[in-house]
Amino acid sequence: MSDENEVMSTEDRLIYMANQIARNLAALGDEEATAMTADHIHAFWDPAMKRRIAALAAARPQALTPIAAAAIGRVAIP
Amino acid sequence: MTRVYISRDMASVALGADDVARAFEAAGCEVVRTGSRGLFSIEPLVEVENEGQRIGFGPVGPADVATVLDGSHKARLGNVADLPFFAGQQRFTFARCGIIDPLSLQDYAEHDGWRGLDAARAMPPQAVVDAVKASGLRGRGGAGFPTGVKWQTVLEAASDAKFIVCNADEGDSGTFADRMLMEGDPFCLIEGMAIAGHAVGAGHGYIYIRSEYPFAIAAMQEAIALSAARIAPFTLEVRVGAGAYVCGEETALLDSIEGKRGQVRAKPPLPALQGLFGQPTVINNVLSLAAVPFILAEGAEAYATIGFGRSRGTMPVQLAGNVKHGGLYEIGFGITLGELVNAIGGGTASGRPVRAVQVGGPLGAYFPPGMFDLPFDYEAFAQAGGLIGHAGITVFDDSVDMAHMARFAMEFCAVESCGKCTPCRIGSTRGVEVMDRIIAARDSAPAVPAERHWEGYLQKALHSRTPDRIDTGLEAQTTLLRDLCDTMKYGSLCALGGFTPYPVLSALDHFPEDFGAPAPIKEAAE
Amino acid sequence: MSYTRETDHGTPPAIATGKSVTLTIDGEAVTMPEGTSIMRAASLTGCSIPKLCATDNVESFGSCRLCLVEVEGRNGYPASCTTPISEGMVVRTQSERLKQLRRGVMELYISDHPLDCLTCPANGDCELQEQAGAVGLRDVRYGYDGATNMGQAKDQSNPYFDFDPSKCIVCSRCVRACDEVQGTFALTIEGRGFDSKVSPSQGQDFLSSECVSCGACVQACPTATLTEKKVVEVGTPDRAVVTTCAYCGVGCTFRAEMRGEELVRMVPWKDGKANRGHSCVKGRFAWGYAQHRDRILHPMIRASVDEPWREVSWEDAIAHTANEFRRIQAKYGTRSIGGITSSRCTNEETFLVQKLIRQGFGNNNVDTCARVCHSPTGYGLKTTFGTSAGTQDFDSVMDADVILVIGANPTDGHPVFASRMKKRLRQGAKLIVIDPRRIDLVKSPHIEAAHHLPLRPGTNVAMLTALAHVIVTEKLYDEAFIRDRCDWDEFAEWADFVSEPQRSPEAVEPLTGVKAEEVRAAARLYATGGNAAIYYGLGVTEHSQGSSTVMAIANLAMATGNVGREGVGVNPLRGQNNVQGACDMGSFPHEFSGYRHVSDDAVRGQFEQAWGVALDAEPGLRIPNMLDAATDGTFKGIFIQGEDILQSDPNTHHVAAGLAAMECVVVQDLFLNETANYAHVFLPGSTFLEKDGTFTNAERRIQRVRKVMAPLNGYADWEIVQLVANAMGLNWRYDHPSQIMDEIAALTPTFAGVHYDRLEAEGSLQWPANDAAPDGTPTMHIDGFVRGKGKFVVTDYIPTDEKTGPRFPLLLTTGRILSQYNVGAQTRRTANEAWHPEDRLEIHPADAENRGINDGDWVSLKSRAGETSLRALITERVAPGVVYTTFHHPDTQANVITTDYSDWATNCPEYKVTAVQVMRSNGPSDWQRDYAQQARLSRRIAPVEAAE
Repeated sequence: MSDENEVMSTEDRLIYMANQIARNLAALGDEEATAMTADHIHAFWDPAMKRRIAALAAARPQALTPIAAAAIGRVAIP
Repeated sequence: MTRVYISRDMASVALGADDVARAFEAAGCEVVRTGSRGLFSIEPLVEVENEGQRIGFGPVGPADVATVLDGSHKARLGNVADLPFFAGQQRFTFARCGIIDPLSLQDYAEHDGWRGLDAARAMPPQAVVDAVKASGLRGRGGAGFPTGVKWQTVLEAASDAKFIVCNADEGDSGTFADRMLMEGDPFCLIEGMAIAGHAVGAGHGYIYIRSEYPFAIAAMQEAIALSAARIAPFTLEVRVGAGAYVCGEETALLDSIEGKRGQVRAKPPLPALQGLFGQPTVINNVLSLAAVPFILAEGAEAYATIGFGRSRGTMPVQLAGNVKHGGLYEIGFGITLGELVNAIGGGTASGRPVRAVQVGGPLGAYFPPGMFDLPFDYEAFAQAGGLIGHAGITVFDDSVDMAHMARFAMEFCAVESCGKCTPCRIGSTRGVEVMDRIIAARDSAPAVPAERHWEGYLQKALHSRTPDRIDTGLEAQTTLLRDLCDTMKYGSLCALGGFTPYPVLSALDHFPEDFGAPAPIKEAAE
Repeated sequence: MSYTRETDHGTPPAIATGKSVTLTIDGEAVTMPEGTSIMRAASLTGCSIPKLCATDNVESFGSCRLCLVEVEGRNGYPASCTTPISEGMVVRTQSERLKQLRRGVMELYISDHPLDCLTCPANGDCELQEQAGAVGLRDVRYGYDGATNMGQAKDQSNPYFDFDPSKCIVCSRCVRACDEVQGTFALTIEGRGFDSKVSPSQGQDFLSSECVSCGACVQACPTATLTEKKVVEVGTPDRAVVTTCAYCGVGCTFRAEMRGEELVRMVPWKDGKANRGHSCVKGRFAWGYAQHRDRILHPMIRASVDEPWREVSWEDAIAHTANEFRRIQAKYGTRSIGGITSSRCTNEETFLVQKLIRQGFGNNNVDTCARVCHSPTGYGLKTTFGTSAGTQDFDSVMDADVILVIGANPTDGHPVFASRMKKRLRQGAKLIVIDPRRIDLVKSPHIEAAHHLPLRPGTNVAMLTALAHVIVTEKLYDEAFIRDRCDWDEFAEWADFVSEPQRSPEAVEPLTGVKAEEVRAAARLYATGGNAAIYYGLGVTEHSQGSSTVMAIANLAMATGNVGREGVGVNPLRGQNNVQGACDMGSFPHEFSGYRHVSDDAVRGQFEQAWGVALDAEPGLRIPNMLDAATDGTFKGIFIQGEDILQSDPNTHHVAAGLAAMECVVVQDLFLNETANYAHVFLPGSTFLEKDGTFTNAERRIQRVRKVMAPLNGYADWEIVQLVANAMGLNWRYDHPSQIMDEIAALTPTFAGVHYDRLEAEGSLQWPANDAAPDGTPTMHIDGFVRGKGKFVVTDYIPTDEKTGPRFPLLLTTGRILSQYNVGAQTRRTANEAWHPEDRLEIHPADAENRGINDGDWVSLKSRAGETSLRALITERVAPGVVYTTFHHPDTQANVITTDYSDWATNCPEYKVTAVQVMRSNGPSDWQRDYAQQARLSRRIAPVEAAE
């Protein structure tokens, strides 16, 4: 992040959030971390956010860490 | 080289003992500085050793070296122990005082030192406590509570940190026994405390000494350092008071050691259960603890055979005030007050008739000569409306004004009150005011009310405020004084306020003429 | 209810030994617990012994000597306050002799006391007056010409109470209350004997002394020596209502003492189970905001935030609100609106707001201010233990042997609880403080932390894991507890993780900045020092690893067996009065009341049946998501009850942008707060004095809030929500909050046993309160964790992305101060301003010197998010490299600086770590000036003549 980046765009923030969850769960090992990241997004994100992250995962796959990307793939999109 | 013994006691030094000692040193003598033997009319006392005998001379000045050494000095006393003042004493506690170098471990050991501690340490703690109980030793600080019973309580209290506290805050006027012992035989106190430590399971002790006793503080500190190995694992330290009389009260003393404002604590809890830092604590006076080595060394029986009634053993009586032979006189309980004042003390120093003696410090009662057959005994004194206290006797001749003495008692209480409880805090100040009104009325000058400093209409208008509603007459004020004494005696939290009525009421009862009332009818005994 | 003083039994209850003693008092056989004083035993049997220095919230003292009694077989007259009862004792409390002695003592007292009863503020409420009557004093024979302590100058420096030493009877109750109850040791008795005087600190006046104005001394004073200014001004109260304080999460019970409709004083209630008769400067004194002229009492609306406000009738305001919300939903969709519940409002009100949103708005877009404070607590403790709440009651601290305080500053944030904690510490419990600042607890009178670990902000997880490393590698864990209560395999996995060398105290020392040896010593003490309890605050949660930190704390407690009994546990110190309750009531977008997920069909089914509508099974938006959605144009309307998100939420610019993008912002509050600058509808709120309801404090204790006066704005908040709901067609029929609680109980298993009649009977209940726990649950997880087995969670230390660098070399952390509360909306409108009139930036002398900053200079504080200016306070309380400020004043707007980094699991903002630069400046920044101007404009209220 640059010094002057005051506010992330909503899309950047969604990506950041997904990656942050994945990063904090990574110590559990890939499989468990992926499952728990998916559970987390499922349980706490509103439908529009879920739809949007799914779209972003498709459009900007390189922006997501492998665990985050795998997890999003498992979230049921309403 | 001639060896001479000269006291280093504060009282002796005040009388010039240091100059005398220097003069003898200059003359090539080996000077041994001892404690005081306790008779101040012969101080500075010089004892010259000659073939194992000590020949006393006193009082002696620095210019008298030659006549002392050649034996021609006119104040030659011979063997000091044979003087009548000493021959009649039973020195259990003060046996070594004045004889040995107080800071010589060798002297101490050679004069029966450590025998009590060695005996105690060979016994289980309970046996030591039993010995102290069997001796009948009671608290020498004034309350007279059985020392062994107190120790038993501490022994039975469960705690891994217990303390021995020595109350050396000797603040009563006319008393000096604690100081003399600490300066003249400090190891004796140390030994007594170490025995107490063994008896109750305490590892550390404090000696709380008033700041006015610099010699005693120095002597104790040095003696503690010298004897540390001998008493180990028991350890000791000196704490110095800050000038408050009330810190001689045991619970205020504990607060003071803890670094708090010295204020009396309500009991219970007893210090024996929750004392210093909330831990079980033996708190005893210097004389109580210093009596213990004798009891353990010689056996409880040896101590207990001496005495009178329930007061067993000896009491180091201190004769002071207007008395010819002032000093320390250790004797078994039971001797009469008259014997102490007249036979031993030799009457007044002024040569005028004795009018009153105050026993037990500033809070003790005044006794007229009519009561001189009173035996020295806790119970007998209590019954006579007085107390033995720390056994200080202050003698007054017939020039004393007992109303002023009563006023002094109230004033003393007002100055020294810690301010915690109401009877003492306000009562003592009101007591001074009442006495002023009595003295004014007695001297038939009408009582002059102090300048009113009230202001404001409302306050002036308040009916109950008007000063002339108070009856300042002798009778009303004397009644008020008695009521006030009653409130203080039964209402105060500690002995300061509680005992102040003793000197006041005894003066009023025995010397009513000084309070503007008719003199009592003399009894036939006169 | 008429006014009577609370019964004072003279001495505190005896320490329970389980034994009792039978004695005779005035001819009557009495059986009491061993250790009880004669005075208390007599009082409990209905016989009152005269007393002045004794009061039952401090230890007996024995100084007044009025309470003397006769005990058969004992010499003298023992003081009944200091004499414990004993078996077979025969006590007489009344006799001619006792009368005489008591009168003698009273005569002395009155000889040094002004006789101005008629003009004295304590007239009729003075114990000296009462006792003089009781002992029958009729004359003072000493007169009034003697020495006296009267005529001394009054000290009126404290804004809330006066000190008139002329009236002092030197009973030391104030001094003892300050020492024993509050633990500040600000008062002493100076001088001795007749000259003994009460003195704040070293002869200072009250305001400049160490006094924290908790009011314990004023409450303890038996005369008019220490008197509330309000009593001096108004007179003594004539009725009292017991209610619950609306400040912090301690939840103190007070008697609101009234004279007619006027509140005279708030006096802590001795039976209050959270506060046990104690109070702090806020609850006790800082309630003047409730009648402040800034309160808005009429509803207002405006079409645009550029316009002045227009006062309208309640009917119009409610109709407008309902119409706007329906209009927006019609245009932008069901999920285009939402709301925020308030942690300051009652459980019932909070429940209604989330019900309005779920039932009326038809979505789950509800969130609450816990989002920005304790949401990680909810997440972390739910994950590890199974329940989103602290494990203990406050009393539990008195059984703790080791107290670990991390990221909390109880003496400022939770002062009444801090006093209990300090009492326990003075009794000998050991203290470990983990905090970047040297908070007051680290060293205060008669208290010193065994270990203070001043870690770098943002390294909590590394620190806690290092503690765990020591406990595991040195085998200090409680294997029996773990095998019995947790999953051993999970433990083993966690133990392997924390044992790795890179998590040792030595390895993380460069990160945390704390000496490894100190960390090891603290870990050993926590694990082996007996009952060990952890207390934590927002210094734990408000980080990008907040949830991990909470779980790391839970891990430590489980590993050492410190859960499930008195004296141990994991205790979040909740910020606001009802933040626990707001969370319990289903204020989160993913949960119904009782922490049950909206996707749970069975639970949702119950609510659907009760409310007669279909409910959304998908989670709603959290506050930051709502603001994002607003800037994106998909979220258009919000109902905000009792919260000032503009001032309290991070990255003010972002919040402002979100609010500005909405079409209908409805704010319900007491004052035109900062958020209201962006509002279109303002609905006046009511204070806690004006309504019935319940608050739930940090120990899960549900306590009654009672109406002491009619709402100045016309309606209690729950009534206003009901009006909005009905205007939206919901047909609610609540006549009293108790009916709302009945509905909560019916729908929430943990609250099943909570009803107003139970609360009246018990005073309070700690949830869970239901058939399984009919009397509530003071300590949780006693026989097993709520989730079954306690769960060890591997908590990896993931450093925050907020990093210092050349441009922003310092770390800012934020917090609060004793005299102010949260955004200051209440306390800034009281005399508490005397202690903290502005936010200051605490900076270490070395950092200040580098920058040429002197104490009191204006400095600019700049982060990646924004810039503000405030004055500097140079202090070694902060470490070099760390600066600190409070966020109580809108002129400072500390949240302009904070970033939008947040906790990975809950989006709780990372308030506690912001990289900043500090430089000297000339005064407020441009932004502050612009903001002040804009705030003035947006607060204009149009004259009402048109409405006539």
